[in-house]
Amino acid sequence: MSFWEFLASRWEQVLVDSYLHASAVLQCTVIAAVIGIFVGIGVYRSPGGSAVATALASAVLTIPSFALLGLLIPVLGLGVAPTVTALVLYALLPIVRNTIVGLSTVDKSVTDAARGIGMSRTGVLTRIELRLAWPSILAGMRVSTQMLMGIAAIAAYAKGPGLGNLIFSGLQRVGGANAVNMAVAGTLGVIVLALVVDGLWVLVGRLTTPRGIR
Amino acid sequence: MTTPTAERGSRRAERIRLYAQPLIVFGIVAIVLAWAFGSDLDAIEQRSINASTILTLTWQHVEITAVVTALVLVVAVPLGVVLTRRWAKPLAPLVLGLANIGQAAPAVGLLVLFFLATGWTGFWVVVLPTALYALLPVLRNTMVGLQQVDPALVEAGRGIGMSGFSVLRRIEFPLAVPFVLAGLRTALVLAVGVATLAMLVDGGGLGVMIDTGYKLRRTSVLVVGAVLAVALALLVDWLGALAEQLLGPKGLR
Repeated sequence: MSFWEFLASRWEQVLVDSYLHASAVLQCTVIAAVIGIFVGIGVYRSPGGSAVATALASAVLTIPSFALLGLLIPVLGLGVAPTVTALVLYALLPIVRNTIVGLSTVDKSVTDAARGIGMSRTGVLTRIELRLAWPSILAGMRVSTQMLMGIAAIAAYAKGPGLGNLIFSGLQRVGGANAVNMAVAGTLGVIVLALVVDGLWVLVGRLTTPRGIR
Repeated sequence: MTTPTAERGSRRAERIRLYAQPLIVFGIVAIVLAWAFGSDLDAIEQRSINASTILTLTWQHVEITAVVTALVLVVAVPLGVVLTRRWAKPLAPLVLGLANIGQAAPAVGLLVLFFLATGWTGFWVVVLPTALYALLPVLRNTMVGLQQVDPALVEAGRGIGMSGFSVLRRIEFPLAVPFVLAGLRTALVLAVGVATLAMLVDGGGLGVMIDTGYKLRRTSVLVVGAVLAVALALLVDWLGALAEQLLGPKGLR
């Protein structure tokens, strides 16, 4: 069976897996963004705190994803729980780092001016600093999504959802008629999804960046 | 360019990791090994948790990582140099674009596809796709590193009568070294990560212990394998950081 015939006969499964893959990655990126932005807000005023947060997050990123997934299985079991935990942990670094960079590079004279016209600390943070830091935070989320696309494929080993299941089924059926087709569908699917979602991020950036700094 | 405050923050983070990382790694490995060898192991656990098995698998893992890194260096750095020469300039965006798309491919997919397509098992079926995957960061960084060299310096080198090659060797390349090293560090970490998947294609490595522990429901085996893989990744990353500190040009430090 050629690859296109295979795709025509299995397109429903491929679409469902793609949908699950994209939705897992995007939801985990959003969870990581919420956590990461709070962590960033918590530490960006202290150089020591920023350094520790960045060091920790970048050390987490060096952990092989298969090893982290393995360590999570005895604790969280199989399926969605270890997948989400692993993906969120990996997505944190770019977001935390970019939040800290974004917030700490806001021009001091701008925040001083805001304080001067009587805005509260939270007012300055939510209405000025976070908005100016947004493009940087968004860039972090974009990098995270790209990374998670590949890592999520490994999560199928722990019975997680997504396109990795196609790759692993292909591996199990080695020598079988559709083994290569399945692995190709899974791998290509991830690449296509990654490119599409990357385009979406550019669009989100256009729509949500404050007009003044676009 | 980021502003000085952010730069200082990440430099400080680097310094913390440079000192803390090896200590934490050795601490964790010692604790886990002491726990594993100290507990009552049944026959199945003993088959995996013994000095010779652990050493063999770790060595396989190190071997894969080392060969991948060597291959990447030998291919990516010269390729990066060639692609930044003036006559090859039009090719550069094309190659970088391809490299970016390649980076979006999942490592596990590349590994499995390569295995299915060739039918080989073992060492090279792991090394080749991993090297392909780890090639991209080094190639991109080499090109970026060479492109960011101030053209005035190159002009000056030519002006005092240096040949094109000696400008490359004595000016451009030394200034690009920090970028190359940063790419190499990324490649090293990627290689250790993909090598944990080597067991999928009978390539050995510490992933074998994770897989065995998972399939035979022996948490101790799984944990020892996973922790050793994590420790190896952190150690290799630390070596990369050390190389960045020691091998960068002195004037830029």
